[in-house]
Amino acid sequence: MTGRTRQRRLGLILALALLAAACGAEEAGTTTTTAGATTTTAGATTTTAGATTTTAPETSGEPIRIGSTLALTGVFAATAAIHKATGEVFVERLNDSGGLLGRPVEWVLLDDESTPDQARALYERLITEEEVDLIIGPYGTGNITAAISVAEQYGYMIPHHTASLTYAYTYPCHFSSWSTGLHPNHTNPDLLYTALESTGTPPQTIGFVINEFPGTQFIAHGQQGTEEGGAVEKAEERGWEVVLDVTFPTATSDWAPLAAQVAEADPDFLYIAGLGVDAPNLIAAMQAIDYRPPGMFAQWPAPGPLLQAGLTPGVGADGIMAVTIFEEHPPFTDNPEVVEVTEAIGAALEAAGLPYTKVETQAAASWTAWEYIQQAAEGAGTLDQQAMCDWLIANGADTLLHGRIEFYPEEQNYFQDLSKIKQIQDGEWYVVYPEEFAAPGRSVIYSPGG
Amino acid sequence: MRLLDGIVSGVLIGGLYAVMSLGLSLSWGALKIINLAHFSFILFSAYIAYQATTTFEIDPFLTILIVLPLFFVVGALVQAFFHAVKVDEFKSLIISFGIFIILQSLARTIWSADFRRIGPDLNPYEAQAVFIGGVPLQIPRLVAFGAALLIAAGMSYLLGRTYFGKAVRAVAQDPEMARAFGIDTRRVAVVLSGLSTAISALAGVLVALGQTIFPELSVSWFGIVFPVVILGGLGNTVGALTAGVIVGLTAGAAHVLWGPLAVPLVTFIILIAALLFRPEGLITKKSIA
Repeated sequence: MTGRTRQRRLGLILALALLAAACGAEEAGTTTTTAGATTTTAGATTTTAGATTTTAPETSGEPIRIGSTLALTGVFAATAAIHKATGEVFVERLNDSGGLLGRPVEWVLLDDESTPDQARALYERLITEEEVDLIIGPYGTGNITAAISVAEQYGYMIPHHTASLTYAYTYPCHFSSWSTGLHPNHTNPDLLYTALESTGTPPQTIGFVINEFPGTQFIAHGQQGTEEGGAVEKAEERGWEVVLDVTFPTATSDWAPLAAQVAEADPDFLYIAGLGVDAPNLIAAMQAIDYRPPGMFAQWPAPGPLLQAGLTPGVGADGIMAVTIFEEHPPFTDNPEVVEVTEAIGAALEAAGLPYTKVETQAAASWTAWEYIQQAAEGAGTLDQQAMCDWLIANGADTLLHGRIEFYPEEQNYFQDLSKIKQIQDGEWYVVYPEEFAAPGRSVIYSPGG
Repeated sequence: MRLLDGIVSGVLIGGLYAVMSLGLSLSWGALKIINLAHFSFILFSAYIAYQATTTFEIDPFLTILIVLPLFFVVGALVQAFFHAVKVDEFKSLIISFGIFIILQSLARTIWSADFRRIGPDLNPYEAQAVFIGGVPLQIPRLVAFGAALLIAAGMSYLLGRTYFGKAVRAVAQDPEMARAFGIDTRRVAVVLSGLSTAISALAGVLVALGQTIFPELSVSWFGIVFPVVILGGLGNTVGALTAGVIVGLTAGAAHVLWGPLAVPLVTFIILIAALLFRPEGLITKKSIA
């Protein structure tokens, strides 16, 4: 074989290796998942809650098995870890307080490796092979979407946490616990823009950097193929000049060119329709060129890294805003039971080795989804899927973190947008808008003048 | 100005790409080991840099003093293992992929799947830049580019002008004949593997200086490192630097000219073109493969 032929052959193998690398993680993960199906059963135990010592009611009978997947590995694993810890706390407390319908609860948790295909296959398995009694959604829009379609196929009620393509979920027995309403592409930006206007000095120009991820595209421009629009069009409606509207790849590794593009557009306000660590990465790149827009908003950031990016006084992420449904401060924590639960979840997050242990959107949505399951089963008095679904639609849910929730079938079971605007101030996240939910002494800080 | 910014930024990040690729390139070119574990070594080194910096509150650059010797030993041990079980080029791909998966899971177990970032109080370099003619040169990237230059020059000298380099080239070209001439091929391979792994460890520190790290980050490097290794030519240190700069530069220019979404497209077009037309790499003269 000549050297050139050999190199060509190697090139071919390399291409195969690249494909294997792209798919291989999934295959390897499947083995782990199959072997490592996690079950969480606390059984009947005696617990001490707060200052009061209570003897837990006994549970009896066969465990009720609740099946779900989470992205225990893969690109969504960082956030899914929050859902895992929260779910474990809920199941443990549920069992400690008498279980569900008097029976212990077992959570059958599988790893969907952050891929919708795997989620779909595993939900099929949970229903047809594991024969679980109930299901709860996975994490990640694509995975939740896949799980809902399986639930519909088998007639299972499916509560789920944080799926972003609200318009796509038409199954009458899906129940989202992420209280964004059916049209977050309108309500989220309206809330933010109203908050900015509340300062009396709203921006005149606005820039958008948008992750190509479908959920952020939906928020920024509305449902594809429709004229409904999103955050960009809502800004234009208010007469703000859109000076930048750029989409970036999900796997962006070099943020410097994007930072330079933002600096050149120099908007009064920058709307980062991004995920996870997009915002801290972009902010770091902008800092490096000594540029910082007067105001910034991050759609769905990882709260920890973004907070950390603001440790340097006067620079970094201090002042950046984001959307939330819950933060660990008054008035959200006025109820002592809320404090008890958030402390338990915080401890679980810490035990799981997560660096940011405060309860916010993800953990709150997760907790609420578990409450849907509990209340539907107890309210209907049965594990019949349709009966539970009907009961939830008819009666709504009394949630610990969001209060009373009514589901509107005509709105695809969504309810009003309960989102709030939070802002990093003095190195901490605080809800600043609407006023009635703002942390004591906190309000929106924004001035286009800097 | 924006085009110039994009090009300069691309050239500088090309230095980081080169440092990330050099370890794999040397391992593949000289030892015929397609060691995918290099991606894990970069990741682990980044995590160790993060951990050491945040735990001991030291300058992140000082962590180089920890990771370089540590990963030299790790690389040497891995190569000794490969040598003991007589791994060939193709088996190395499978075995090292297994090591990659195991190490990625280990990273997830130790540091969780969550995002980690060295805060600006401990890592002021991330937000620092020097300006030349109004064009920003970010400090972490400048350092990465300087490191790439030094490593490329140093390894080029080592492989081209020293007895050890001659031994490496002999082992790369014909191990049996090298053994017949009295070269301890095992020792040469172990030392070279240690060096190439130490280079990957340096890349990890540079990554930790400028990026948020999480276990899955290592998967995203496949799409950058392989084009650089192929384009640069296996085992070609100068080629890897050149290729890193070309990939970074074209990505930066593509961003400015056609937008961010064009960047991955352009990178993979480069990879496919390299595989089709220059599978031996752009620069073949200095290659040891």
